[in-house]
Amino acid sequence: MKTIEIGRFSDLAQALSTAGYRVAAPVDDGGVVRFKEWTKGREIALGAVPVDSVKDFLFPRSEVVARFALEEAGAFTPVPVERFAPKTVALGVRPCDAAALAALDAVFNWDYRDGSYNARRAATTVVSLACAKADAHCFCISVGGAPDGTAGADAILRPADGGSKLVFEALSDKGRLLEAMVSDGQAVPDAPAALKKRFDPAAVGRWLAANFESPFWKEAALACLGCGACAYACPVCHCFDLQDESDRKECRRLRNWDSCGFGLFTLHASGHNPRPDQSARWRQRVMHKFSIYPQKFKTLACTGCGRCARLCQAGMAIAETCERIEALGR
Amino acid sequence: MMKALRQEAAKLLQEKRAALIIGFAEREGHPALFISKPEDCERLFYDVSCRQNLAAYLSKPEVSARRPVAIVASLAALRSLVVLTAESQAAPGQVLALAVDKDAFLGTFDVAGAAELLRSKYPDLGPEKALLERVGELSKKSVVERAAFWAEEFAKCTRCYACRAACPGCYCARCIVEKNAPQWVSTAALGHGNYSWNIMRAFHQSGRCTLCGACEAACPQGLPLMVLNAALDREALEEFGARPGYDPEGKPVIGSWSAEDDHSYMR
Repeated sequence: MKTIEIGRFSDLAQALSTAGYRVAAPVDDGGVVRFKEWTKGREIALGAVPVDSVKDFLFPRSEVVARFALEEAGAFTPVPVERFAPKTVALGVRPCDAAALAALDAVFNWDYRDGSYNARRAATTVVSLACAKADAHCFCISVGGAPDGTAGADAILRPADGGSKLVFEALSDKGRLLEAMVSDGQAVPDAPAALKKRFDPAAVGRWLAANFESPFWKEAALACLGCGACAYACPVCHCFDLQDESDRKECRRLRNWDSCGFGLFTLHASGHNPRPDQSARWRQRVMHKFSIYPQKFKTLACTGCGRCARLCQAGMAIAETCERIEALGR
Repeated sequence: MMKALRQEAAKLLQEKRAALIIGFAEREGHPALFISKPEDCERLFYDVSCRQNLAAYLSKPEVSARRPVAIVASLAALRSLVVLTAESQAAPGQVLALAVDKDAFLGTFDVAGAAELLRSKYPDLGPEKALLERVGELSKKSVVERAAFWAEEFAKCTRCYACRAACPGCYCARCIVEKNAPQWVSTAALGHGNYSWNIMRAFHQSGRCTLCGACEAACPQGLPLMVLNAALDREALEEFGARPGYDPEGKPVIGSWSAEDDHSYMR
């Protein structure tokens, strides 16, 4: 058995760093726990679900995808963009965030194989951390996950001996490469967090597919103020916008995160918007996650991490919406 | 307090003085609650943990379509209502405020009544002491140190625009950050664009911000946005005597010009 003392967890990050990996981990950043690049001496905050997920390391919030050098009289020359995909270990990824990788892999390899996503995905080893605790917003168990689920992970750390140790278990070849960095030991794994199933996603999906025009949406979306907090925090949301930005010397084509909550998201150049109000946008968000995605990719686009509800200023909670939808379908 | 608030809200609906009440729900987290039936007013709640400024909903088309609307309004939200009226965003007679202050229900007010209440009972609302201390501490630093502080904070911004959505003062149908011909502000969630965006948003609120704190509460990344807002609030007060949210006919500092303004900077 491979074990790590909680108090010496940073040693593992250090060993990985010394071995040439970029290390990503939950770090306390002035009171907010972020999933970010770990640097020597920083404490790793394993206790809280970070506001960001591992998604940021595979599909960054903004990325230059093409570059053009501008010349005289409107002429331009493409400049090759160096791909940024360093060898990375994502440490302490929550099982819900690791589970999200299947959904991301599906969409980034569907009609187009996304080079930069796949390069980073291939270079990343995911070491997840089973949850011994859950909060009121967690609902992984309702969407096919589990607080100690192993989907998407190359290795998993399980809290043990009352939270004082972690048991390391490799789950893939990538994970086994790290085994040597963890010492042998003995520990008794703790029970994973206890969660109750809140709704049946298949029942939700059935209602969604049949009730596009339901008056439910108008009322359910009244509180939504149309920001991108939910989509940006979501480990699965992957919509992006391409923007060209230039100065006198060069033009950069950027891929930025986008959100279906924004009014501009589907605004056509003609001025027509097929999703003219927030209810159409909130419906899209719920349908994409629980109806369209499972039909297309055989996987839900929600892993129950609860970030969207935890962060929403207006208290929009997708699990609650699903509970209400299930009740409507009965 | 809660009883008086609920009764008054139910009465507004019964008497058809409001078709929609926007308040806070009693359940955990106290999310925004939209009520059109008097009996549902029992679900209303208020305490100081309710951080949303409900005046932000007034510019939402689905809400303005259901006017007359009454909102549960803290003192800051009352000021927002006055600012929105001054800026022609809320028509008199279409919006009522169920005014609350900490643990007291103050009554129902129209915009003129809200302005009168603020002028007579709360004439000197401004940043709280702790916030001013944060501003003071940062002001002591050099320009270079301050720039470094903000660069580090703004680097965390994901450009989710939760701050903008939270703010009643941000009602533009198309925000300048979404205009790309020409592109005024870089849309990349990276250092330079984030810096421009956050400073620009704060600047657009200067002399208009009612210091409700909803933007900072809404920010998923925990940016100290109120430090910026409070600093600009003091600046607008000292330089232009701006006290937003007291006069429904007052002109916003950044939207007006006066021959008496100091023009010595123009050479």
